[in-house]
Amino acid sequence: MRLPNTPGLRACVAALSCLLLAVPAIADDWKFDSDMLEGLRARAIGTAVTSGRVSCIDGVAGDRLTLWVGTADGGVWLSKDGATTWKPVFDKQAMCIGAIRVSPADPKTVWVGTGETWVRNSVSVGGGIWRTTDGGDNWQMMGLEKTERIADIVVDPRHPDTVLVAATGALWNASPDRGVYRTRDGGKTWEKVLFVNDDTGAADIQMDPQDPNTLYASMWTFRRKPWDFNSGGPGSGLYKSTDGGTTWRRLSGGLPDGPLGRIGIAISPSRPNRVYASVEAKNTAFWRSDDCGEHWARLNDTSNSVTWRPFYFARVIADPKNIDRVYKCGLNLAVSDDAGKTFSGGGGSYHSDVHALWIDPRNPEWMILGCDGGVYVTQDRGATWRSIQNLPVAQFYHVSTDQAWPYNVYGGLQDNGSWMGPSRRSGGIPNRAWHNLNGGDGMWAFPDPKDADLVYTEYQGGELSRVRVSTGESKSIQPPRRDGEPRLRYNWNTPIHVSPAHDGTIYVGAQFLYRSHDRGDSWEKISPDLTTNDPLKEKQEESGGLSVDNSSAENNCTIYAIGESPKDRAVVWVGTDDGNLQVTRDGGKSWTNVTKHLPGLPPATWISYVDPSTFDAGTCYVTADGHMLGDMAPHVFVTKDFGATFTALGVADLKGYAHVVLQDVQNPLLLFVGTEHGLFCSLDGGGRWAQIHAGIPDVGVRDLCIQAREGDLAIATHGRGLFIIDDLSGLRALTPAVLERDAALLPSRPSALVIPSGEQRFDGDTDYLGESVSESAAIAYYLKKRHLIGDLRVEVLDPQGRVLQKLDAPKRRGLNRVEWAMRLKGPKIPPAANLVPNYFAFVGPRAAAGEYPVRLIRNRDTLTSTIRVVPDPRSTHSAEDRDAQVKLVNRLYGMLGDLSYTVGTLKGAGEQARATAGKLGAGDALGKRLTMWAVRLDALRGTLVALKEGRLTGEVRLREELGDLYGKVNGYDGRPTGSQEDAAARLGRDLDRAQAAAKVALGGERGTLNAALSGRKLAAIGLPTRAEFDAK
Amino acid sequence: MIRKSLALFLLAALMAPVAHAQSLDDVLAKHFQARGGLDKLKKLESVRLMGHMEVGPGLEAPVTMDRKRPAKQRMEFVFSGMTGVQAFDGTRGWGLMPFMGQTTAEAQPAEENQQTSEDADFDGPLVDPATKGITLALAGKEAVDGADAYKISVTHKSGRVEYFFIDAETYLIVKRSGKQMARGTEMETETAFGNYKEVNGLMFPCSMAVGAKGSDHSRTIVIDSIAVDVPMDDAHFAMPADTSKHATPPTKPEAAPKKKK
Repeated sequence: MRLPNTPGLRACVAALSCLLLAVPAIADDWKFDSDMLEGLRARAIGTAVTSGRVSCIDGVAGDRLTLWVGTADGGVWLSKDGATTWKPVFDKQAMCIGAIRVSPADPKTVWVGTGETWVRNSVSVGGGIWRTTDGGDNWQMMGLEKTERIADIVVDPRHPDTVLVAATGALWNASPDRGVYRTRDGGKTWEKVLFVNDDTGAADIQMDPQDPNTLYASMWTFRRKPWDFNSGGPGSGLYKSTDGGTTWRRLSGGLPDGPLGRIGIAISPSRPNRVYASVEAKNTAFWRSDDCGEHWARLNDTSNSVTWRPFYFARVIADPKNIDRVYKCGLNLAVSDDAGKTFSGGGGSYHSDVHALWIDPRNPEWMILGCDGGVYVTQDRGATWRSIQNLPVAQFYHVSTDQAWPYNVYGGLQDNGSWMGPSRRSGGIPNRAWHNLNGGDGMWAFPDPKDADLVYTEYQGGELSRVRVSTGESKSIQPPRRDGEPRLRYNWNTPIHVSPAHDGTIYVGAQFLYRSHDRGDSWEKISPDLTTNDPLKEKQEESGGLSVDNSSAENNCTIYAIGESPKDRAVVWVGTDDGNLQVTRDGGKSWTNVTKHLPGLPPATWISYVDPSTFDAGTCYVTADGHMLGDMAPHVFVTKDFGATFTALGVADLKGYAHVVLQDVQNPLLLFVGTEHGLFCSLDGGGRWAQIHAGIPDVGVRDLCIQAREGDLAIATHGRGLFIIDDLSGLRALTPAVLERDAALLPSRPSALVIPSGEQRFDGDTDYLGESVSESAAIAYYLKKRHLIGDLRVEVLDPQGRVLQKLDAPKRRGLNRVEWAMRLKGPKIPPAANLVPNYFAFVGPRAAAGEYPVRLIRNRDTLTSTIRVVPDPRSTHSAEDRDAQVKLVNRLYGMLGDLSYTVGTLKGAGEQARATAGKLGAGDALGKRLTMWAVRLDALRGTLVALKEGRLTGEVRLREELGDLYGKVNGYDGRPTGSQEDAAARLGRDLDRAQAAAKVALGGERGTLNAALSGRKLAAIGLPTRAEFDAK
Repeated sequence: MIRKSLALFLLAALMAPVAHAQSLDDVLAKHFQARGGLDKLKKLESVRLMGHMEVGPGLEAPVTMDRKRPAKQRMEFVFSGMTGVQAFDGTRGWGLMPFMGQTTAEAQPAEENQQTSEDADFDGPLVDPATKGITLALAGKEAVDGADAYKISVTHKSGRVEYFFIDAETYLIVKRSGKQMARGTEMETETAFGNYKEVNGLMFPCSMAVGAKGSDHSRTIVIDSIAVDVPMDDAHFAMPADTSKHATPPTKPEAAPKKKK
């Protein structure tokens, strides 16, 4: 559905274009920083239904309320109410969490090691260890910044300043910053107490709870490359220290001699001479020692939970009380009740891929599980599980939007399928508003531009499907290998691209680019192999190291990015994961490799995004990402000549390797970049950048998409779900020239009078609610300095220039927005014993659709502009019907004001009479007359408003009837019913009678009383004029 | 006069060496000076603020806030024709919310009362903290709304910690943040101050936005008029024993005029 306000939208665009063209020469010293963008608001819309990968959990023994959860790329979350609600407490630090340890001596002291140790292909990076001593309010950086990832932390219960850390270290490159570190001064200084070599990190560390000088640590040789993963090597091994970590001894005692891989360790708290270990080797198995690690017995090498993907599942947890019970995290949570000989999958329902388990040491029935699907809680030792669906740490890979109103957003998630959900919803966007489209690891998902019931989705390795949303029917449309062709290589995160201008045309990339004009029913191969086709990078069947692991995660020499020019369908850009950037200008007949024109880019750097310009066929923005080769720098480029030359855009202000670049569709100088550590924007085509916080922490921003009709920016984060920044109009107008002004009113998109709707539900506190867009009109403005002294406000006027509303306006330096509810002031309602129980009786009538002048008043300066109010695009009411509603609601609004005046004068006169009578004394004759008169006024008032005390009196007078009718008519934008018109007429007659009665009551008698009062030199009983009354 | 002195003060502040590290005492001295002077602040006996509060989109409530030395306060707001009251009489907080038929005032729960007693202090915690058992510390500088502010931690006698942010240019308070207890639950709140205006030589914020920390949804209070040293009876702040008589007018059937048919 299209907005009916398109001409208005066009006018805004035209005005903006003029503004951009009229930009005078700007000095180079204009300032641009993140603080100036704090006025933007990014709405977190979820979804939390799937949650996201959880890497570690800790709790407090015997405390059912306090739970700490560390996530793969969504920060640290704390529950203080036993997993009912959660709060992010680490958003200013790092998002990728490896380990959390609550100090055994003080539950307010908590250590967080950043950098996840479950090193899948899409894993993020950390940067050191932090500590809080006040339960998460404040954090201190305690060092180990270069360790990249931390697997575990142990704290000496006797000396809580003694802490040992297992630092797994860098994943994609050799590094000396790994091994076991120890501090004895609470993190001020660290010593590396166990180190093997630059390729071997620490994968686990455990402390004997009865003898903290006894420690076990596992060392792990591992390395990931874009095309390969290796787990295992001569550096791996199980180590023990009996002097608090000062010296270490490699344990053998029956353990395999050959190369080892990842080892998980657990000490039985009830009898610490028993130590369990899952040991990756040529024959991966579960082991046990009953003599403090000196001798080991191999117990199980058949359970899937023991042998499956050791690099991803290596946590072993011993039951706190039962010496023979031990848990192993794996594809599922496995439990052994016979000290490791046999394992069962346990019970209950939860998401697979378990990474963390916390068991309350005092009550082992109470367990908290962390997995690729978030957190699950059991109170019966795993027989049943409760899914926590208010931890919004979804890991989206991509995002797209459709053309519905409100539009929907689409995207795929790490191990949680593909989903669609509404961009807005009155009252918020709950989990139940989201709709699952596909399974596996979801990546790209696009609605068909012509048929919104069709969505293109995929799961890992290019498993492309076309899904009919209404029925759930799914058709596999992945292009297969044809006769004579080599095996097709699809990336884990295979790109799908929907032609921006040609309905039904879609692309998908293996090593060849495929194009379909019939929604995937048939494909044409429109390129040769666009990759380097390096055979050394195509040995995925050998990938994994000791445990072969070929899940398509390491597929390489594949196409990773596709972009068709919106200006010329024959121009298509392709980026590959082995460093090629290719372009065709003839629809795929011929291709040019322009990689060598990317200045300064290291060879083989993954091309992570191509964004052909909306403005010019020869212009394309490109990001490149070398983090999997150890290059953490952002790379952003632009070409304006079809790739003949590229300019490297200034990246000094960016942090984190770059995933995506996007040029705005209206302001060609407005660019956005998503990196592993946040969202950034440039107002000058890439010269200067500033991070947009706006509620988005330093999370991986994997994809961006502009919903052109609304001018919204949809943001896919890989750890905090989707965000939307509504209405880029203000940002688009924030040119360097505007930044030089002291203040400026900025344009905003037309504001829809959203149809009022609600839902009666009482879901408790465990449901996640994504933030919906405000249903008020936004007025945007810019301030060069923060305003602190004197007036700053925004006024909205009616077309005649009368002030409808004065708005207290934010005063921050940079971009600001203030909201107007698009209603007149609330009606004047006479005081009574109860409220009129209807929300719409509290608020004023809605502003009619149209243009409204606005002015920004800053002390003596005034700036003016206009905003536009339009009907809800879904509205079925004709203009005549809306007019009828406006007329009746305003009539009732006026009647309420009339009644308030009448009641107010009765009440005021009575109060004055009583007050004077009180001064005259009990026996005074005039005082008695005044009191009697006041009683009659009160009695008349009692016929107009309900004054009976009590909560549900059911008393209805003219006020209650009129207020109720006003509320009902005010809550519906269409034509009122005939009955409502009749009721309004009847109440109008009642009001006339009430006013007449009041006139009589306040008339002659008051004159007589006032004459008597005058004779006694007492103040007369006065009545306010209507203007005086209304001004109150 | 205050404008002139403030202007001179600002000029001096701007000319001061940028790198000069400020001590807590420096910041507080400049803050009191910016507000009109500590002596003048301490001589103030009462203040009445009148304005309106936005309680939701399109929902405004006229509000009157009365404060009296040493620690009395009363806020009245009118919503849909009905008047709600929240007050502190110096030792006890109470409220009367008549919107659902309630006619008697209710005392504040003890836990919240403790915090209200701290907040009701007429001079606020920055004035004479030691005599009140309050500890202040300068906790560095932070950007607030895009401009630097000194962050002062305030540790109350009860142990509650809150933060005041003092604008590094004007030395006026721009933000106050802390935790509040509501129904046993801890809630982090922030109040942003703005639109300072001079009344009787003292600077008062005329815009306050109160909201949960990190939320964009704050409740704004706009002050339209300020009166200082208004005589206020202590009874004005006291919790009424029974307010039902105020709500129901005495009616006599024979006195009621007959409704026209």
